[in-house]
Amino acid sequence: MAEKMRTEIASMLQGIERYNPDNLQKLERYVEMQAQENIYDLEANLSVLRLYQFGPNFYRSNIVNLILLKAMTNLPHTDFLLCKCLLTQDRLEEPEVSRVMVLADLLETCKFKQFWEELAKCGDLIITVQGFEDAIRKFVVHVVNITYQTIEVPVLKELLGNVNDQVLKQWVGKCSWKDLGNGRIFITSQEDLVKTKNITEKIEFENVAGIMAHCI
Amino acid sequence: MYAEEFDDYEYETDVYEPTGDPRLDAENERYTGYGSAPQYAQYSMPDVIKKFIIYFREMVNSGKLYEIQNVYENTFPKLTEEHFKSSPWPDADEVSPLVDDDLPFLILYKELYYRHIYARIQGGPTIEQRFESYYNYCQLFNHILSAKSPVVLELPHQWLWEIIDEFVYQFQSFALFRCSLHKKSAEELEFIRINPTLWNIHSVLNVLYSLVDKSNINQQLEAYAKGEDPDTVAGEFGRRPLYKMLGYFSLVGLLRLHSLLGDFYQAVKVLENMELNKKTLYSRVPACQISTYYYVGFAYLMMRRYADAIRTFSHILLYVQRTKPLYQAKTYQNDQINKQTEKMYVLLSVSLVLHPQRIDESLQAILREKPHAERIMRMQKGELQEFENAFAFASPKFLSPVPPPVEAPPADHRREPFQQLAKVFMDEVQQQLTLPTIRSYLRLYTTMPVAKMAAFLEMPETEFRTHLLCFKHKMKNVVWTKGTSGLDGELQSGSEVDFYIDGGMIHIADTKVARRYGDYFIRQIHKFEEINRVLKTQKV
Repeated sequence: MAEKMRTEIASMLQGIERYNPDNLQKLERYVEMQAQENIYDLEANLSVLRLYQFGPNFYRSNIVNLILLKAMTNLPHTDFLLCKCLLTQDRLEEPEVSRVMVLADLLETCKFKQFWEELAKCGDLIITVQGFEDAIRKFVVHVVNITYQTIEVPVLKELLGNVNDQVLKQWVGKCSWKDLGNGRIFITSQEDLVKTKNITEKIEFENVAGIMAHCI
Repeated sequence: MYAEEFDDYEYETDVYEPTGDPRLDAENERYTGYGSAPQYAQYSMPDVIKKFIIYFREMVNSGKLYEIQNVYENTFPKLTEEHFKSSPWPDADEVSPLVDDDLPFLILYKELYYRHIYARIQGGPTIEQRFESYYNYCQLFNHILSAKSPVVLELPHQWLWEIIDEFVYQFQSFALFRCSLHKKSAEELEFIRINPTLWNIHSVLNVLYSLVDKSNINQQLEAYAKGEDPDTVAGEFGRRPLYKMLGYFSLVGLLRLHSLLGDFYQAVKVLENMELNKKTLYSRVPACQISTYYYVGFAYLMMRRYADAIRTFSHILLYVQRTKPLYQAKTYQNDQINKQTEKMYVLLSVSLVLHPQRIDESLQAILREKPHAERIMRMQKGELQEFENAFAFASPKFLSPVPPPVEAPPADHRREPFQQLAKVFMDEVQQQLTLPTIRSYLRLYTTMPVAKMAAFLEMPETEFRTHLLCFKHKMKNVVWTKGTSGLDGELQSGSEVDFYIDGGMIHIADTKVARRYGDYFIRQIHKFEEINRVLKTQKV
């Protein structure tokens, strides 16, 4: 179903048709569908923002909010930045959107503790986006995966949004981490990934053959 | 230097205002009086110009590409310099009798005529001229696009590129002109009101997409990338160089247009069949090459794909370096090339501050020189103003696709799109502001307890840990690896200084670069040989 929709939308957005406001209603429904069914299509969403940019009268802030929240769920990719570039300053300053901006800024700077606190204050903001919190946790997992070899349990719990032991266990299993039993969790071996590189100069014969030939 | 750049906005959008100087005013009157032919009646065309126009038409119709190129790139600019340095070329009405009312030729002539007015006439084009020029482009593209069989016309690549580039430029110029409501007279506002489609974004997009479709350029590029013969998919129109190249240049035009409107995803996406990482046989026009890489690099920078931005800028800056002697002559094309090159050095500096990595030695050497080195140092120190200045200097002139309504307060709305995108960029910079400091500390050690380094940096450990996470996150970007699409790629960490945390301990990995002697000696040997050669030719 979702795949069918994706292909249908993609063929609808060929060439100049991308800027046809008649497509807007369908695209907006597609945005809502993405939120409900936990699927994601950046390109379609950007074309919605583009149509709002071309026709400010069509602008619907609840749709924009959904698009931004969905973009956030695709971190570490920079979809959110791409969306932000298509919104004018006064739109970004509207209360609803600016709340989303604050959340995105916290995620981008990896202030996960504050993020979860702030999110708790936002009430029903994310209710309409299926799987939002777990998508954010996946981003947290990504950052943890590239940063830590072993991590203290309380630190990890806090990053994931003060999850309880039960939930933590699930994530440990899902991410193939290992509970070391000493209050630490083994994430992955980083020694091979993060190594000091020595770049030395290599002079190939071909590089100097010309010059040497000249000197004879 | 930055202040000067902003004056560009002024320059492009200034409308004629009485100067108070009667002589100048009379002169200005002449330009604004476009369309009312009688004013030109007393003016008689020099014979050399008459002859030139007749010859020019003959060549265009003969299809002798080499000759057309010579006229376009040499004779026309030369005559412009001699006879029309700051006044327009003869009006099309006067030219018409000389060329038997040859309409297609007159359209091409007018394309040059208006382009000259945009570039050289003080005060810029009047609103009527903007309209006329727009209308002329519509005629030109209609002529080419609505023909039942391919139009018989061959023009040099350089000219075709400049038609598309100028078309987008004039749209940009109008969008900025349109936004400075504070400088409009009542007549101008009325003119805008009754011509709502004038330089409308949809029409501009439509032209470019139509040229892309008509030429099957995407299919051709796809076939070409696969090593197949593009002609098999080109179709009747796309096989003709005129259509093929207009299609190709339209892709670059779209890249530019999408960038100006802040859609960096679509900007890179339109080039998805173009092999940017290989030399293609399509791109023999240097200005087009350079422009392509400038906008692609810029889009990457905005998308936080720094490694890709650095690769893109490096690639083209090396190309410019190699071909530099070609751009020494003072022509309008070279002016633009040199300006864009300068901007790319600044963008390269910005990218390198945000994402330090090794680049080609000869580019590094330039960045070690004066204005660059100082700018880089200030950005590394975290001076936000310096980032902002660099962005203002080197970014394209962003536009709003929808101009403010004519009834809007007569204010200057031209800077709004720029401010909007500058804010996005500066937000990003702000998020990364502590990273250079942390990097410089990390660099000093191979292992270090988290708590201890937090103390060095005089911040609570929890806060420091957050910065470390942010460091890792921001240094891991999508990087292009293979395929034609510039959007594809995989997450990579290309940072020179890298680390991981094991419990309470940071393990740091640095990149150590041994000095490169080979390059240095090779360069010296070349220099020495060059001197020797010159000396030998000297007679004492």
